[in-house]
Amino acid sequence: MFDNPKIRINELSVGYDDGTQALSDVCLDIPENAITALFGPAGGGKSTLLRTLNRLNDLLDVSISGEVMLDDTNIFDRNVDVISLRRRVGIVFAQPIPLPFSIRKNITYGLELAGERRRAKLDDAVEGSLRSSALWDEVKDRLDDSANALSGGQQQRLCIARVLALAPEVLLLDEPTSGLDPISTAKVESSLQILKQDYTVVIAPSSIQQTARIADLAVFMLQGELVEWGSGEDLFSAPREKQTEEYITGRFG
Amino acid sequence: MIRLSRHHTERIVFAVIGLASVATAVPIIIIVSSIFFSGAEAVSWQFLLEMPRDGMRSGGIWPAIIGTIYLVVGTGLISIPLGVASAIYLSEYAADSYWTRMIRLAIVNLAGIPSVVYGLFGLGLFVLFLDLGSSIVAACLTLSIMTIPVIISTAEEALRAVPQSFRVVSVGMGATRWQTIRRVVLPQALPGILTGVILGLNRAAGETAPILFTGAAFFLPKLPNSIFDQTMALPYHLFVISTQVPEMPITIQYGTATVLLAFVLIMNILAASVRSWQRRKREW
Ligand SMILES: Nc1ncnc2c1ncn2[C@@H]1O[C@H](COP(=O)(O)OP(=O)(O)OP(=O)(O)O)[C@@H](O)[C@H]1O
Ligand SMILES: [Mg+2]
Repeated sequence: MFDNPKIRINELSVGYDDGTQALSDVCLDIPENAITALFGPAGGGKSTLLRTLNRLNDLLDVSISGEVMLDDTNIFDRNVDVISLRRRVGIVFAQPIPLPFSIRKNITYGLELAGERRRAKLDDAVEGSLRSSALWDEVKDRLDDSANALSGGQQQRLCIARVLALAPEVLLLDEPTSGLDPISTAKVESSLQILKQDYTVVIAPSSIQQTARIADLAVFMLQGELVEWGSGEDLFSAPREKQTEEYITGRFG
Repeated sequence: MIRLSRHHTERIVFAVIGLASVATAVPIIIIVSSIFFSGAEAVSWQFLLEMPRDGMRSGGIWPAIIGTIYLVVGTGLISIPLGVASAIYLSEYAADSYWTRMIRLAIVNLAGIPSVVYGLFGLGLFVLFLDLGSSIVAACLTLSIMTIPVIISTAEEALRAVPQSFRVVSVGMGATRWQTIRRVVLPQALPGILTGVILGLNRAAGETAPILFTGAAFFLPKLPNSIFDQTMALPYHLFVISTQVPEMPITIQYGTATVLLAFVLIMNILAASVRSWQRRKREW
């Protein structure tokens, strides 16, 4: 079913400097143009795995072994340009954190960093990415207002939009709908369905239900290990492992 | 012992706190208003803009005003870039190591050193050893050493107050560390940094001891021509006309004190309004 992996993770282990082994020997192929959902109980290493995929963990003191192949390059290679890696692999966090700028500037920020100054290009990116994240209609008349004036749900869609503006290849989303009301959640989920046509999406959903709703490939993670993975339908209708079954039927975690 | 209800205790505590704040404010108000009251009649455009005459017993205080401006500007040119750069290094780049702890310790201790010690240090290092003579440069360098710790510690505090999450987000969007500092962290910290800069320079404007041996002149018949000349300065001039000149008219002394106070007061008001502007502008 998935024969075009965008990212191949090979025996990846990640440990924090306090001795926590957050990931142990993780192997996983992440398919292109699909939603890969990492789910499992708290502390399973979902966020750690996402942050490793664009090397945001470099900011912390972590020890990493194994390899992550993005297309044909190992992202841990010495000569990999981390800056351009982070543009190709964008990340959205659980907490929406707008930068202390206007709505427009939040979106153009990443492009301006990359040296884009043409007004028309920037305006196109603002409109395009806000449409993709289903926020355009709500903010199109107040693009120059502070991003802090938006509601939590709008802020989260803004955070998705500003990553989309960079035209990444891979979109990492860490519980992007935690703290959102059901309507905003539905908006984000439906925009993901559209986004996956152009992007590789890796998400740590906010709930098991959400995993079941959106996952093309569902991956069950427990204490830093991948227990089981499979297409969303298969895994939820017929889990192979006992731990998976216990977790999705609510008898565990 | 009488037991007081919580309500009564609360009222007593508030009364005591209120009295304490009145007690602090009253002497300041008395000093400032009595000086302004007695000095107001001396202050005029001539007083501000004329050279002193008759052995400073009449005429104006222009060279002292211009001298203080030179010293503050010069000190700012040296201490702002150095202080802000050090603060950025300490808050954004330096790891928490033995050395950075030593640097911080040194900064905290420098802030507590009496100003006359800075003056003697400046005399030894800049005036004599580096052979700059008693001059505006030597005085500015000495004042900078006194001002830099103030700027570093307030600026570092302002930088650290910017939420870490902004930095993570910015780096996550492909910014380099410096881009993140330039575009996100510094603008947010700017009002706090400015407050520190103004407070530091304010101290430089008001101190006599650090410039006494390094660049301040008792009396000069003309304005300084270069940074290697000596200069008159308001605080030292006030000291001189108050203690060193016999038969000095008291109005001139009060007038000079008024100008010095006004100078410092204006800078303080500036710092306060920058602070409130910062609170209104803050986005977190
Ligand atoms: N910065 C850190 N320093 C030290 N340990 C960490 C750090 N971040 C995470 N950990 C540890 O690594 C393990 C995996 O954490 P991680 O946040 O990746 O889990 P998660 O699956 O995202 O959990 P959740 O569902 O609660 O978000 C946990 O044991 C956690 O305590
Ligand atoms: Mg997490």
